[in-house]
Amino acid sequence: MAPPATQDGSSSKPIVLLADPLIPEFEQELAPSYRLLPAADADEAAAASARALLTVDLPAVTAAQIDALPALELVVASSAGVDHINLGACRRRGIAVTNAQNAFSADAADYAVGLLVAVLRRVAAADAYVRRGAWAAAAGDYPLASKVSGKRVGIVGLGSIGGLVARRLAAFGCVIAYNSRSPKASAPYKFYPSVRELAAESDVLVLSCALTEETRRMVGREVMEALGKGGVLVNVGRGGLVDEAELVRCLREGVLGGAGLDVYENEPEVPPELWGMDNVVLSDHRAVITPESIQGVVDVVKANLDAFFSGKPLVSQVQL
Amino acid sequence: MDSLGVLLVAPMNAYLEQELDRRCRLFRLWESPADRRDDYLRAHASSIRAVVPYAPQGVDAAMIDALPSLEIVSSFSVGIDRVDLDACRRRGVRVTNTPDVLTDDVADLAVGLAIAALRKIPQADRYVRAGKWKSKGDFTLTTRFSGKRVGILGLGRIGLAVAKRAEAFDCPISYHSRSEKPFPKYKFYPNVVDLAANCDVLVVACSLNPETRHIVNRKVIDALGPEGVLINIARGAHVDEPELISALLEKRLGGAGLDVFEDEPFAPEQLFELDNVVLVPHVGSDTEETCRAMADLVLQNLEAHALNQPLLTPFSGKRVGIIGLGRIGLAVAKRVEAFDCPVNYYQRTKQDHPGYTYYPSVVELAASSDVLVVACPLNEHTRHIVNREVMEALGPRGVLINIGRGPHVDEAAMVAALLDGRLGGAGLDVFEDEPNVPEALLGMDNVVLVPHVGSATHETRTAMADLVLGNLEAHVAGKPLLTQVV
Repeated sequence: MAPPATQDGSSSKPIVLLADPLIPEFEQELAPSYRLLPAADADEAAAASARALLTVDLPAVTAAQIDALPALELVVASSAGVDHINLGACRRRGIAVTNAQNAFSADAADYAVGLLVAVLRRVAAADAYVRRGAWAAAAGDYPLASKVSGKRVGIVGLGSIGGLVARRLAAFGCVIAYNSRSPKASAPYKFYPSVRELAAESDVLVLSCALTEETRRMVGREVMEALGKGGVLVNVGRGGLVDEAELVRCLREGVLGGAGLDVYENEPEVPPELWGMDNVVLSDHRAVITPESIQGVVDVVKANLDAFFSGKPLVSQVQL
Repeated sequence: MDSLGVLLVAPMNAYLEQELDRRCRLFRLWESPADRRDDYLRAHASSIRAVVPYAPQGVDAAMIDALPSLEIVSSFSVGIDRVDLDACRRRGVRVTNTPDVLTDDVADLAVGLAIAALRKIPQADRYVRAGKWKSKGDFTLTTRFSGKRVGILGLGRIGLAVAKRAEAFDCPISYHSRSEKPFPKYKFYPNVVDLAANCDVLVVACSLNPETRHIVNRKVIDALGPEGVLINIARGAHVDEPELISALLEKRLGGAGLDVFEDEPFAPEQLFELDNVVLVPHVGSDTEETCRAMADLVLQNLEAHALNQPLLTPFSGKRVGIIGLGRIGLAVAKRVEAFDCPVNYYQRTKQDHPGYTYYPSVVELAASSDVLVVACPLNEHTRHIVNREVMEALGPRGVLINIGRGPHVDEAAMVAALLDGRLGGAGLDVFEDEPNVPEALLGMDNVVLVPHVGSATHETRTAMADLVLGNLEAHVAGKPLLTQVV
């Protein structure tokens, strides 16, 4: 437990530096126990003594920022992926990094399934069609879509999100296979050692892995060609996993059948070429933005900070 | 079937149309102007022997009357609420539908719509396409689907497929249907309002009939409440649409995902501006794969009809459930097929009869049948195999036929069910305590009672006597027995 706040002010509370602005849910939960200081506004004394840094969204935490905090021992991230933090610098300094653990997994998996169904069954395009009055005006029916049940789905990254995506889609009668750094003994799904081989044997490829130096732009033209013209790419991981310019080209040329995208290389920029395509479903990196997920992550962040300041093992430390 | 004249009521599927054109004499109703259709039908009345309708456009009594040569209606749909079945029966017109093939598609869409409605996927898509992410920041906060309480109206094939999918999202499942089903992990509510009051997402997945029309009314919508979401992938008429619209506009209902509407293709325009609804144009089964499978079933049914073979998916007759698909059960199946009765069966293990639908429990079989025939051997497993629960599942319009043995049926429970009107009727050749017949049955006019005469014909008794004599002769002559049991 963190030391209780004393009546004579906030000075006895441990300092937690903030890499980016707080949201009310975090402030409400953390302010009673911690002195929350924006890193940019921290005076010399605070910067010299701060042991913990918190990221709420995905601000870049650079080597220079880390070096400027000599007492730093912990970076608490509020996300599942920690690619926005310079992990090399943390490793060198022996700084621990924690993530959101499984707080987002259910929502991310739900959203991946939602995007997959929306692309194959044209849900968003059909909704737009009805709303603009085209159904009533049209002779005949809306164009046929593609079946979800029975499709071969390849999951890249069978972590907690990928595992939930697999379980959900198995219930839709989809045939699941996956790629990850190594085969998982407990997973009842077929393993492929490369993303290209997985793509060649899949109708839909779902990206749910972490963004690292090894996975950056892992989905390039070769993978999209293997997925093929009837194939669909769903990305709820990070934009950087995909060569976005190549994705746009493949969709335009019909090399790839469709895409459901929640993440992009340079958010909030979304390639305008995608805006006019009706075989894609786009959203604003919102897969995990629900009150349930936010409450879940606040709980994990607080548990990590409480553990750290009371000398207990961290709840969700990332292996660096 | 070159000579079969087939009327297609609308251009519903390009592959179907092309194959009909290739294999039959095809008449395209839509090629004549709407006000000249009667003339068109009159002109081709003697040639048209088959009609292929679909869900939005059926076959009414007027059309059936206008087509004196009509023999079969082979619908490109599961639901045939727009086919006048009574008129078909009166005229002896056979009817087929395309069951099963679209179960997965409709269930996929139901869950897809639930996620899309809760997470506002189409709204986010429009937001990003309009460039608002960059200019206005993140779109709105939405609520989680996983773990939400899902209530299902109608736990038939589609309802069950929805339940299976939602379970994988850790959603607790409850349902309402005419009778409780043998799925202990799903909670049964005997009335719809209670179901709606105890779920977050209500999925309409029942068939449309006079009892289920407007089953989702103001009371149900209010019970679902301002956080609740309604998903309708069944028929528009299940929902009182004006009540739904006012509930959504007044925020008494949280949201909706709708594939079907009361007056298709007109979706209510008041909904077009709402961002808590997802509207799709009746595309529940509109996938390439499923439409192809449905078209193939229509073609195969027409072909079977033309060749005078049993139909693949008849709908005109009563659904007959057979307990025990041995020799007698199979012989019953073969006979009822000729009446265009869909055949269901229960057996300890699934048999290799693709035309008959297997049910792994007698209760499920009874719930999906209009007539239940007992045709299995009597042993310790099958004693009272037809118990109170099975008769409840068969229901007040169901009929029980027992040509097995008396003890297959819990006779006391049957008498009580018949007395209470919980069972529609019975035809009984066997009784638990023969020659005693329960006295309560003697005065009922919805039962037929015969004194264990299943095999009591001159011909069969003579054949049986010949077999006895043949076995004795073989024994005396030292030859193999004809029908050795032990």
